[in-house]
Amino acid sequence: MRPHLPAARQQLEARRHSTLLALVALMSLVGVSLSSSTAVAAAPSLAIVSPADGALIANGTPVLVDFRVSNFVFVQPGRVGQIVLPNEGHANVFLDVQYVRLLTAVEPFSLSLTSGAHTIRIQLVADNGTPLNPDVSASVGVVATHGPQGGVPRVMILSPTPLEATGHGIYVSYRIENFTLVEPRGQPNAPNEGHVQLLVGTDVVMEVIQYEPVLLVSLPEGDITIGVRLVNNDDTVLANPSASATVPIHVVASSAVSLPLVSNGGVALLLAFILIVLILRRRKLAARDANARGGNP
Amino acid sequence: MNARIFALIVAMIGMLVASGIPASNGRGAPVPTLSIVSPTPNAVMGNGTPVAVVFAVTNFNLTEPGNGTSSPNSGHVDVFVDGALTAKASVNTIVLALPSGPHTIRLRLVTDNGSALNPDITASVAVMATRGPAGGTPGLSIVFPREGALVGTDSTLSFRVTNFVLVAPGGPAGVPNEGHVQVRLDTARYAELTDDAPLHLNLKDGPHTVTLQLVDNEGGPLNPDVSVSLHLTVQALLGRVTPFDATPYLALANLLIGLGILAAIYRKLEAH
Repeated sequence: MRPHLPAARQQLEARRHSTLLALVALMSLVGVSLSSSTAVAAAPSLAIVSPADGALIANGTPVLVDFRVSNFVFVQPGRVGQIVLPNEGHANVFLDVQYVRLLTAVEPFSLSLTSGAHTIRIQLVADNGTPLNPDVSASVGVVATHGPQGGVPRVMILSPTPLEATGHGIYVSYRIENFTLVEPRGQPNAPNEGHVQLLVGTDVVMEVIQYEPVLLVSLPEGDITIGVRLVNNDDTVLANPSASATVPIHVVASSAVSLPLVSNGGVALLLAFILIVLILRRRKLAARDANARGGNP
Repeated sequence: MNARIFALIVAMIGMLVASGIPASNGRGAPVPTLSIVSPTPNAVMGNGTPVAVVFAVTNFNLTEPGNGTSSPNSGHVDVFVDGALTAKASVNTIVLALPSGPHTIRLRLVTDNGSALNPDITASVAVMATRGPAGGTPGLSIVFPREGALVGTDSTLSFRVTNFVLVAPGGPAGVPNEGHVQVRLDTARYAELTDDAPLHLNLKDGPHTVTLQLVDNEGGPLNPDVSVSLHLTVQALLGRVTPFDATPYLALANLLIGLGILAAIYRKLEAH
């Protein structure tokens, strides 16, 4: 039959044949590539992109956690008719030991942190909540603080000025830089946060968390030193020398102290003067009497 | 006629059965479940941080509210805090900001149009929110002055509170690690402190006892009681240095001179 076919028809047949072959080849190629991708993608992986390990989360802000997942599909757990597949599930997030998030999408999420060191751990789990085998998790350590990100904590005493003569009660005003004051509540230390101690000589007389001037009363008289220093939450002094400041002052008695002395002394002088005048007048009188008696008896 | 009525009754019973069975035991799909994974019951959520509620569902498709597909096995979760609808969730974590005090968080599965499932599927958990730390024993100490100190009439008392947050009185009762400081001076009430600012004392001369006590929002003592007492002796003009205090001698001199003046005047009067 074939030799009887016209040449044009033969040509068409051949072209159709080759197209079919090409299609088959393409399909098999796609099939191979698909099967190879599933074969290689056996191990899901997880990485935390941000924050970096050991990052300082400053200013008391929440931390934004960004992560990447490969070879793993996030699905809503507990769906109708769901079957457990090896490369499908969701992620659990733990802040220290607390379970804080169940993630069903690879999207950044934010966590509020208290001051101190924390560990954020993300773990991939299957649809039924069991960890993958082998376990796939990533963790990152961060340090949270209410203080600023950088800079050297510094304190300066603005008033009193060095060697100033003051009364027994004075306002101490100071300026704090790169340091945030927080209530000391026994929380862990964190960079650039803490409170202020005021010292008279070497004694800590006050612990405050205020930026406004502080009133010191009943200061001992004489040459004394007033100190202001920044301390950690656990009362340890910051290592850097600019976190403490001292100022020598001279405390002098107020006029109220010398008032009894002055008034008593004044009254004594006045009385003594009156007495002397009286005595002198009496003597003069006695002398005149004697003269009169002697002159004309 | 009778046959038609019988057929009708049979058909109605059949319809009832057919409609009733899937509704009662879900022959089409298993009954959805809902459970709260975190927080654990009666957990204390400290530092005033928002509470992350993590829940798990089974046989239920969580969908964004308002997508129009109403089916008994899909929808979202209504979140109630102390009975009030607070949020809707279509993901498994809800972050709730709670004020201090005990709270009940209740979750309920609802269909897309907001109606409860039949039977109603809910889960609830009781938590305690506090602005103080979640754990730890409250402590109180006096930084300055020291026990038995001799102070002037004007003095300042600096104190330190640990594992306890000071808040204005009047909050809910029974909240752990939050409240204020009550100050008693010689057994009489002297002040209530709601912040860390040092306490300024202006006392009469003599011995005094100052007692600081941590109390809860209602003013009741903590259990166990946390208080600290300080004995002070107040002396006016303490710290004032006078090189030589002549006041008593001058007083005596004044008296003697005064007597002298009287004597002089008397003798003068007698002489006349």
